[in-house]
Amino acid sequence: MGKKSSFFLIGLALLAIFPLIRPPAYFLSFLFKMFLFIILAESWTLIGGFAGYLSFGHVAFFGIGAYTSSVLFQHFSLSPFIGALPAGGVAALVALIIGYPCLRLKGPYFAVITLCFAFVVDLIVKNWAFLGGSEGIHLKLVQMDIQSSRSIFYEIFLGLVAVTLLYVRRVQHSKFGMGLASIREDEEVAQTLTINTAAVKIKAFIMSAFFPGVAGGIYAYYISYIHPDIVFDINISILIVLMAVFGGGKSWAGPLLGAALLTVVNELLSLFVRPEIARVIYGAMFMGVIIFMPDGMVAFFSRRRRA
Amino acid sequence: MFNTAVVIQSIVSGLLMGGIFALFGVGFSLTWGVMKVINIAHAAFGILAAYIAYWGLVLYGVDPILSLIVSLPVLFFAGLLIHRFLIQPITRSKDIVVASMILTFGLAIILENLMLVAWTSDERLITTSYSSKAIFIGEIIIRVSSLLAFCVSILGIAAIYLFLHKTRTGKAVRATWQDPEGAALQGIKLTRVSMIAFGLALASAGAGGVAMAYMYSFNPPAHNLWLIYLFLVVIVGGVGSIIGSALAGLIIGLITGLSGAFFPQQWINVLLFGLLIVILLIKPEGLFKS
Repeated sequence: MGKKSSFFLIGLALLAIFPLIRPPAYFLSFLFKMFLFIILAESWTLIGGFAGYLSFGHVAFFGIGAYTSSVLFQHFSLSPFIGALPAGGVAALVALIIGYPCLRLKGPYFAVITLCFAFVVDLIVKNWAFLGGSEGIHLKLVQMDIQSSRSIFYEIFLGLVAVTLLYVRRVQHSKFGMGLASIREDEEVAQTLTINTAAVKIKAFIMSAFFPGVAGGIYAYYISYIHPDIVFDINISILIVLMAVFGGGKSWAGPLLGAALLTVVNELLSLFVRPEIARVIYGAMFMGVIIFMPDGMVAFFSRRRRA
Repeated sequence: MFNTAVVIQSIVSGLLMGGIFALFGVGFSLTWGVMKVINIAHAAFGILAAYIAYWGLVLYGVDPILSLIVSLPVLFFAGLLIHRFLIQPITRSKDIVVASMILTFGLAIILENLMLVAWTSDERLITTSYSSKAIFIGEIIIRVSSLLAFCVSILGIAAIYLFLHKTRTGKAVRATWQDPEGAALQGIKLTRVSMIAFGLALASAGAGGVAMAYMYSFNPPAHNLWLIYLFLVVIVGGVGSIIGSALAGLIIGLITGLSGAFFPQQWINVLLFGLLIVILLIKPEGLFKS
């Protein structure tokens, strides 16, 4: 076992026992939010970072997951902790259906079509009475004191973070990951190397939708009230891209770093300035990253170290 | 329910609206085509110009059309600066299209939130002394303000067309677009030409934004929806094509107008997004390019 893996396991173990010291619920909520964005940014990077297909509509999969588990809970009394799996499944299925035609489009066209896809899903849900329309869905609260329920959600998301990270890291070093990287560098060359680019891309897209779907399914139960404006908020899509690009989308470590760092920055900003100003700073960071470190922080600093 | 007058009315209003979409989208198409920059902030700059027009009217009683004398040069110079300090640093990146999207996404977020701080998210509507006036042709009603906005759009598109085809700088822009290396060999300074094209595009966004504000109420976040209209215009018309943008604008206006007569309002946007997705899938290079 390498040094990196032991760091990973120790960090994970420390985070796992953190709720046992009964910290204020605020810290659990904050880390929960961080875990959520790590899951989203890591899964985004499968298609956006590894393959270079920038999806600007990833929030749709998160929202689809949230709605799936909510509907299963409301109409079939299925606990969202179990319902999160079919939620991920539905998100993956939608990814298969839309990915098949959309992944033929390259560069900006793919970005635009995924953005539109997210808008369409949002508008459809808003106008669909069965899904609560623009009223949203209220879920029954977890029957537990806030400390225990926060701890449970925290542990579940921590587990999901670990699974997502391990999966993305394994993909990066696998033949599948090499295939994605070759698509990013030059798709035509990849094809001549007999890589089945269509199959590789769709597999990455499906997996990158599955984890956000699961996370959305659990998140719905966590906030106990879902509304299209919350779970299909286009700003989440943008934030996911920003986090992954900020850390560097070409390796599994980038989105982890980007998501963790930006959640902290976001939290600090929300303490000191009003949300609009916070978003102005966010926008400036977007621009700064793309101008000064287009390959992300991880690549920027590892290049510095070598030079 | 199938009333001829209603249909003709929708066609007329749709075409008027379409002319405005066309002006709004033409500069977006230009930057995308010439310098491979997708300016996500294009619609946000349109909103900015709409606010300048709105406050000029509310505070000083200046007609929105006259406000363009101020906002167009301001946006033109803003465009030069943005190109110099933000776009030029990323022109060497491997994938400039995607890099420019992320960069201008940031710009749009900044602009939207600064406008929110300055002017809140209250919806504004430009109401002039002639807003309630209309021309009647038989049963057809044409609002004076729509007609005026339409005329501004036609003039704007004609001006851009003439600039690109009749002036030396404009011809240099087109040459750069068709063959950057060949143009450079002819002594055309690529960065200078791109800067001017970018400034021009932002100015056209301003004119388009003011024209849009005659038809729709707006607030800072509205640029997200307006952006979709821009993508529609460019993707239906084909990237970089002025005439294509003009025709695309009219078609989209027509569809919006006609569907408004038959569908509830909230489904029109679903229809438009759906249309965009279908066109992207079957003919991403645009309907008017062979």
